[in-house]
Parts: sequence; structure tokens; C-alpha cells
Amino acid sequence: MSARPRRKLLETGTPVRPMLLLIPQQPSTRARLQPRELWIGAHLPQLALEALAGDRRRKVPPVRTGGDSPLAVTELEERAQHIVAANEPAVRAGVRAGMSVATALALLPQLSVKPRDVRRERGLLERLATCAQRFTPRVSLEPPDGMLLEIKGSLHLFGGAAKLTASFLADCAAAGSRPRLAIAPTPLAALAAARAGIPFEVTDGARLTGALAPLPLAVLRWPPEVLERLCKAGVRTIGEALRLPRGGFARRFGRESLADLDRLVGHGADLRIRFGAPERFGARREFTYELERHDALLAAMTPLLEDLANFLRVRQCGITALECRLRHRHAPATRCVLKLAAPAADPQRLKALLGERLAALDWPEPVRSCELRSGKLVPRPLGSDALWQPGEQGGGSRIASTDLIESLRARLGFEAVHGLEIHPTHRPEDASRVRLGLSMQPAGADTEAASAPPWPAFRRPLWLLTPPEPLSSIDALPCSEGGPLRLLGEPERIESGWWDAEGTLSREVARDYYHALDPKGARLWIFRERLQPHRWFLHGVFG
Amino acid sequence: MVADPRLAPLLNHPAIWRGASAAQLSAVSTGFPALDARLPGRGWPQTGLVEMLIPRLGIGELYLILPALALLGRRPEARWCAWITPQAKSSRPFPPCGSLELNAPALVAHGVRLSQVLVIHADLPLWACEQALRSGACDVVLTWTQRVQPRASRRLQLATERGRTLAFLFRAFSARALQEPSPAALRLAVQPASEGGVRLTVLKSRGGSRGEVAVHFDSSAMSAREDAPR
Repeated sequence: MSARPRRKLLETGTPVRPMLLLIPQQPSTRARLQPRELWIGAHLPQLALEALAGDRRRKVPPVRTGGDSPLAVTELEERAQHIVAANEPAVRAGVRAGMSVATALALLPQLSVKPRDVRRERGLLERLATCAQRFTPRVSLEPPDGMLLEIKGSLHLFGGAAKLTASFLADCAAAGSRPRLAIAPTPLAALAAARAGIPFEVTDGARLTGALAPLPLAVLRWPPEVLERLCKAGVRTIGEALRLPRGGFARRFGRESLADLDRLVGHGADLRIRFGAPERFGARREFTYELERHDALLAAMTPLLEDLANFLRVRQCGITALECRLRHRHAPATRCVLKLAAPAADPQRLKALLGERLAALDWPEPVRSCELRSGKLVPRPLGSDALWQPGEQGGGSRIASTDLIESLRARLGFEAVHGLEIHPTHRPEDASRVRLGLSMQPAGADTEAASAPPWPAFRRPLWLLTPPEPLSSIDALPCSEGGPLRLLGEPERIESGWWDAEGTLSREVARDYYHALDPKGARLWIFRERLQPHRWFLHGVFG
Repeated sequence: MVADPRLAPLLNHPAIWRGASAAQLSAVSTGFPALDARLPGRGWPQTGLVEMLIPRLGIGELYLILPALALLGRRPEARWCAWITPQAKSSRPFPPCGSLELNAPALVAHGVRLSQVLVIHADLPLWACEQALRSGACDVVLTWTQRVQPRASRRLQLATERGRTLAFLFRAFSARALQEPSPAALRLAVQPASEGGVRLTVLKSRGGSRGEVAVHFDSSAMSAREDAPR
């Protein structure tokens, strides 16, 4: 019994191929000489200055970096301001990067100093990367001040490395930047050579090690203590470091440093993250006939909205702004911008909101085509739906209130829907303020501390007139249109705000407030000015 | 009430639904015992349209409902309390006609929580009201309008049921408005009474009966003489 299955196994078992066949062939000498990749490394030594020069497309105040006035950009480092970059006149006077601001000002008293703006630097780098995508799809950012382009496949199209770098430099100059470039078969070598600032163009893998040898080790940006130890050992250039025995190098200066050296000369894989320009959605649809009615237009736009929803779904993103352009035969295009309180991706919801906006819109001519453009994509937290629907027992009202506020704001305008807050002041017109930022859910009872104002409930009216309405008066007593008002009780004096003025208009308040009953039984809150001519005003209505 | 005593145990069976019990739905106390006693369920219904006919703004109509608003807002699952404020255009019968703003300190003094107050300025108050009612995001919606067609108030009544919301609709008091049929759950005419109170006429009450009731606010609290700030 036990022998039969074993025999069967032997019969059906497939023969194992010798492992030797699976080993890949050694790369031929020719393949090693012709590298598979060719990289341009771009280093931006003046990025801090160039970023401040401003972006023409955006509304940021530009800083004059050119011209004859010396300018330097500083950064706070170890509790002291240091120079990061300086322009030509400042450098001529002896200002160098790394200098303290005090030293620089001693050298050049008329030096103007600007703080570094890291966000603008990042923005400029991203714009340059977008320019670089014209030459190759493989662009990666090397923050804070570098960029890499893989150009092996593009050389033929652009007519060689020299022409390609020339047109790339021209593009960068148009964007307001002057990078230093270097070409090498490995990304790290290209970047290091660009930082060294010497002309460097190596397309042959065999010549790379020799060309790199004279470069100083500082261009690799290793930690300062590693560089210092190497320097003490008499190792100052890349060539000297490459000559050291590998085992000892890894032990004394770290595996990371050895791995860097390997990547530098192409012995190890060097993976770079590809730069992707920020995505937005844009789509256009031509209608087969001109549309006049809102509902027909909305129905015709549904496919576009569904495209948008699919686009957002695969990226797990939402949008907070959507622009819709309606084009006509003669008249200029009608624009309609939808702003959302929370990132949205649901086509039904977007359609409902857009419908509200379109219904409030008038267009001069029938619509021939329409175009949708999204704002920035916002990552959308994905959650599970609640078991209970809003309004059901135990169901939350979170989604419902977002929808409500958005649909009201889409139709009535952003400011038409708001909350209220109390401002601590004695002037009644200032005490109640509009709060435009609405939380998407009303706070529960326990979250808000009871903060009752220090007067009895019926002292202040529920409605305030803005601005107060003047009342006519007979014998210095106030009247409404129905007849004389009956004053109730003693006045309440409010005198405040003498320090406050809006332009030339003083916002001082000096008033005597009365409760009054009008002949029809409404309870009013009126005041008499304390200053001449003692006019009467209606300021509020009790509920 | 039951003609035959043998029917009583049968009618008490939980599976049997009777018209009169429709009014036994959840209600929120008005804060005025005299008014509570008059209303089915001893308070404002938590779902439904309440129409209030008022001759003008400021006769005490808001003081009638503020205790209930404060009570609703104190619940842990409280939703928005939407105020669709009277606009000059739609509030002509409600003088004064200037721009009216809610006064936050007064609301807080009456126990209303500002974090739940949603103020809406709408040229089309009924549209905004229906949106707020249908959404299910509000506990109470207050709307002012000059007149409302029976069809529109039917829509609003249905919307309150969909969103489980209480709606107060303030509209102008007129002889015609008194005669109009209305699908609202509750319909009241409010008249100013002697100082510090109102006289209410229940014109229609689903599950209740018509009649008059006088409501007095705490007149000592209403007096302006109570000066000493706490």
C-alpha cells in the first residue's frame, strides 16, 4: 500500500532544471561602456534669491534681486542669523554664504537682508521641474536645491546633449533661475558634479570614475562629522575615498557612505522618485445644439460630472472648488465658481450644488459648450457610512448639515448663511457678531459652557436694527407711525467706545436706552442720544 | 369614550392604531403650563408645521417659543436651530422694515446655545425653509413670510415629516388668513395682551381642540427696572 503512491509520485514528478540555466548572463563589455541611463543634474546655488524674485503668475510681492543694491537671504540657524545666499554686488563686497549677518553687515552696511522663504523655494523648484518635463518624463526633485533629469531617450529628439542643455537653460532663465548643470551616467554623480560647479559631461561609464576623482568630498553632502574624520585621515577627494579598502571604509565611515560611493559610480541601483505635477481635472463638452434652459444644461453636463467623479474616485481625492465656464456664440464666456465646505467627490451632490448655482445665474446667450475645471485635489478621508441615516433614531446629522449649508450657500451666497458669536463689549451693535466659519455639526449640549450674560433675560431685544432707525418726536417724546410710544421703566445708560474710531467717524456711544410699547402692542428698544440734538432712535425689537 | 365597555381591552391592543393617538407623538414643553394644557401632547409637536399669525413683529411671539428652543438645544443629540430672518422685501407687514439682525447676547440670556444657531438671509424664505426642513439637519426652523399659499404650506408640512423637524412659520395676521384652510399641524393667532403677555387663539390643532389661552411672561423679568447686574 505504501509503495504505490511513492512510485506514482516519481512517475509524474517533473524533472528539475539545473540551476545553472537560471543565472543571467554576464553583461557584455560593450553594454557596460554604453550606460543605459544618462542624467542631467541641476544644482540651484541661488535658489533662495531667485525664489524671492517672485512669480509673475501669482500675486506675491516680488523682491528686486537684480540691480546694484546688495541683497542677502538669511536663515535662523543655531539661534543666529546666517547668510544663505547673496547677490552679485554683495558677493563682490565679500559677503559669503554661511557668514553671520553681523559680519556681513560689518563688511557692507548698506546690505539689505531678507528672510528665507522655503515655501517659495519649493514652488520655484516645482515650476522648474514642470519645465523640465518638456525634455523627459523622468524628472525628480532633489530638495532643497537640486533636480535630476534622465535624458537618454530624449537625446536624439533634441539633437544631442549640448542642444538639450542649452534649451533647458533657456527655459530656466525664462522662469527666473540659473541652474548649474552636469551630465553623468548615474544620478548621484550628475548631482554631485553639478554641486561642484565645474563643467562636467561624461557619457561613457568607463570614464566616470576618473572624471569624478578630483571632486571634493563635500559635494556628496555627507554628515559633517564623517567628512571631518575623512579629512583628518587625509581623504579629501572622491578619488581618494574610492581607493580605500571597502571593508574598512564601511566600518569606519558607515555603510551608508559606502553605499553612496557605490551608487556614485554605478555599482548599485539608485532609485529616484519621479516628479508628478499637481493634478487637476479639466474637461470640455460641445453640445450638439445650443441650450437655453438651466435644467437642460445641467442634464447635458452630467457626463462631465461623472467623468470628474471617476477621476476623483481612482485618486481617492475630493475637490473643494469647481469652476464651470459656459461658452456662447458671441458673448464672453459665463463663469460660475462653486466653493465647497468639505471635499466632495459625489457626482449627485456636485450636480445638485451646481444646479443651484446655475439656477441663480443669468446668461446673455444660449450655451454652446461648457468646460469644467477643478481646483486642487484634496485627499479625502474615506470612512464607512453610518448604519442609521440622518434623521433616524440614533442617526447623525453630520452629512446632512454639510449638504444643507452648502446648498444654501450655493444659492444664496456665502455670507447669507452664518452663525453667531458674542463679542465682549458694551456697545449693543458690536456685542453680536457674525461667525462665517461654521462647524459642520452643531455642538452638543455638553460641549458649550453656559455663558449667560450678566443681565436678566428680558433686558435686551432679540432683534437689532442695523443701523438704528431715526424716530420722529413730539414734545421731545418719541413717536412711531402709529402714534406716541409709551416708555416703560427707567432708562439704561450706555456710554462707551470713545477710544474707537473708523476713519474720521467716531464710534463712540452715549445713549439712554428705554423699553417702549407702541400703540399696536409691540415692544421696542429705543434710545435717546445724550448729545445735542437728543434725537430718538429705534434700535431693537423684543421678540 | 368607548360605547361598549367590552371594546376597551380590544382597543388597548398595541397593534391597533387610532386617529386620536396620532397626537400622542413626542412633544416638547412650551415652558408655559397654561399653553401646555391646551396643546395635544402637552407641548409643541417635535415634528410638524406650526403656523403663527402675528399682526406685527415684537408682540411677544418669540418669547412663546424660546423656552422650547432652549429645551431642545440642551439634548445631547441637538441639531441646528435655523433662523430664516425676515428680509425687508418679504417682511413688509412686519414693521419696522429696516435690516433686522439677531442679537446674540439676548439669545444666550434665554438659554439658546449659539453653537446651534444657523442664521440664513434668504430672499426666498419659503425655499430656504423647505431646504432646511428636508435636510434633517435641523431641530427647529423659524421662518417669517407675509403670506403663504396653502399649497406651499402643504409642501412645508410634508418636508417637516421627512426631516423630523419642527417648523415655526410666522405670517401676517389678516381676516383672510384666518379663513384660509391650512395643512399645518398647529395654527395659532397671537395678539398682544396686557403688559407682559399674549393672547393666543388656537385656530387649528391636529388631535386637539380650538380655543383661546392667555400666556403671561414673567412680568417682573420683563420690567426694565431690574437694573442690578448680577
